[in-house]
Amino acid sequence: MAVGKNPTALSRTGLHAALWLLVIISILPFAWTLAQSTKFTRDAVTREPVLWGWELTSSPYNAFWFDGNVENMWHVVLFLAATTVLALFVAFLGKRAEKGTYYFIGVGVILGIAIWIFPNFFDVSSEYEFFVNSVIVTVLTVLISISIGLLAGYGLARFSGVSGAVILLVALAFRALPRTAFVLPYFFAAQALGILDSRFVIVLSLVAVNQPFTIWMLRSFFMEVPKEIEEAAMVDGAGPFTAFRKVIVPIMWPGVIATALFTFLLAYNEYLFVRVLAPTNWTLPVAIVSLTGGESSRTITEAAAASVSITLPIVIVIILFQKHLVKGLGAGAVKG
Amino acid sequence: MLLLMVFPLVTTVWLSMNKVLLRSLDVVEWVGFGNYTETFADPDFWRATRFTLLFVGVTVPMQMIIGLGMALLLDRVNRGRAFYLAALLLPFIVTPVVGSLIYKDLFERGGVLAWVIELITDQPFLLTDGNVRWMIIAQAIWHVTPFAMVSMFAGLQTLPEERLEAAAIDGAGFWGNLWHIIVPHLRTIILFVALISIMDAYRVFDSVFVFAGERFQEAHTLQVYNFRVALNANIGRVGKGNAIAILNVIGIFVVLIPFLRESYKEQIAER
Repeated sequence: MAVGKNPTALSRTGLHAALWLLVIISILPFAWTLAQSTKFTRDAVTREPVLWGWELTSSPYNAFWFDGNVENMWHVVLFLAATTVLALFVAFLGKRAEKGTYYFIGVGVILGIAIWIFPNFFDVSSEYEFFVNSVIVTVLTVLISISIGLLAGYGLARFSGVSGAVILLVALAFRALPRTAFVLPYFFAAQALGILDSRFVIVLSLVAVNQPFTIWMLRSFFMEVPKEIEEAAMVDGAGPFTAFRKVIVPIMWPGVIATALFTFLLAYNEYLFVRVLAPTNWTLPVAIVSLTGGESSRTITEAAAASVSITLPIVIVIILFQKHLVKGLGAGAVKG
Repeated sequence: MLLLMVFPLVTTVWLSMNKVLLRSLDVVEWVGFGNYTETFADPDFWRATRFTLLFVGVTVPMQMIIGLGMALLLDRVNRGRAFYLAALLLPFIVTPVVGSLIYKDLFERGGVLAWVIELITDQPFLLTDGNVRWMIIAQAIWHVTPFAMVSMFAGLQTLPEERLEAAAIDGAGFWGNLWHIIVPHLRTIILFVALISIMDAYRVFDSVFVFAGERFQEAHTLQVYNFRVALNANIGRVGKGNAIAILNVIGIFVVLIPFLRESYKEQIAER
């Protein structure tokens, strides 16, 4: 539906102009950072900003990821390009094949191997370890959250009298609590158990704070699946678990992806928990902040390169999954 | 799972009644409400409270209004809608500390926005305790508005066209439509977004912590203040930090009770 029909050509131009203005406001800080990340320091810290015609360099990326040890950054580009092409190719096959799931697992395996063997080719800096931490923490948090969320959400949607309102209230209440009210006791407990500074404790705490939200969201997607479909599967001889796995989950797959995306963003972006619970075993956000802690101008371009690097996966996610993300955000609001 | 959430709260209450220092966590000394009275006597606590209220009070209404405007614009466009949505969502999903860092860089010496402000005012621009609070608020609005936009946009998709056509026959203009049809239709969503936004603005930590740092203590929110008291490497007073956390929890629930009650009622009514 559109508020006000048949816009004239003039008002349509104005509409697009207004939206473009908003897009520029949204994107400008990113564009500036991208520009900064390709400059030599002398062009990055001038009194008047250098807006065009600066000498391009990859040295900030080299400094952040390799401590400046890589002789030819084109080799890194080549490696990344080859990995991307291979992953895209397998994903493309998966989209056409019947059992696509296996191909998408294949994409994950390819990326995993690439991350694993990358240090064999290039002399990586300690930041690479934080990147690996980020990947492991994010993947584990998403897998565990979604597994628990699917089972609990399904149970609550089908087999219990607990109303959505109550779950929503619990989820909201825990969302409302300041993180510091959680992180200090976790810190205390982790210290006592001797698991401080491990990936395990980060994953555990992230799953805990995220779980009510995941359950509530998946439950509301389950409610959309008509019970008759499931009953039909059971009549055809499927057990409850088979019916759940083969019939229900595929139907609500978009909802699962949307929920997984939010969990991904939560884990990938988390700062406070990692900073407190893992004093040395950081993930990327903490690494970047520590990089810019000082007032030294030497690291400005390096911090820009780091910011671009950490934002890249998010940009890829939004390009691939924009629809799911919008649907998920919208669904939360419309149902809430 | 419940254990992972209830346990921390119980521990927090218990710790808040004790004197515990970060460098010697096993030495726990019972002080009753000592940490609380001390917090109330701390001028930093009141300064952080004032800034947090200002922060919530400005960012939440601004993001609702701008978000609604953006949703209305998006709703009228058909061509390139997916592109606009993706581009406009980016500030919302970017890592908060990174969003804060890159925004701060715009206002630092040599940054584009600092330079533009200098051109306009013809005076050297420096981040100070006074203006950095407004920079943080501006950054927060930039960061969270897409959430309001997408939610309200989703709501607009369910508004039946006939209602607007009927209103058009009655001669309703844009503002009439907005006030009498669109806003009432979006009522539940506006309530929900307000609820989430208030919670998120109240407990904002990452971006403010990075933006303000140690340099701009005027711009510390309650969470940043809490973090500094509890986990500062030198003094690290975990007990007092927990007392502040408890006060924060009580504070947010006092603010939220009317909203929670309202959204509970709506849920019941819908069933």
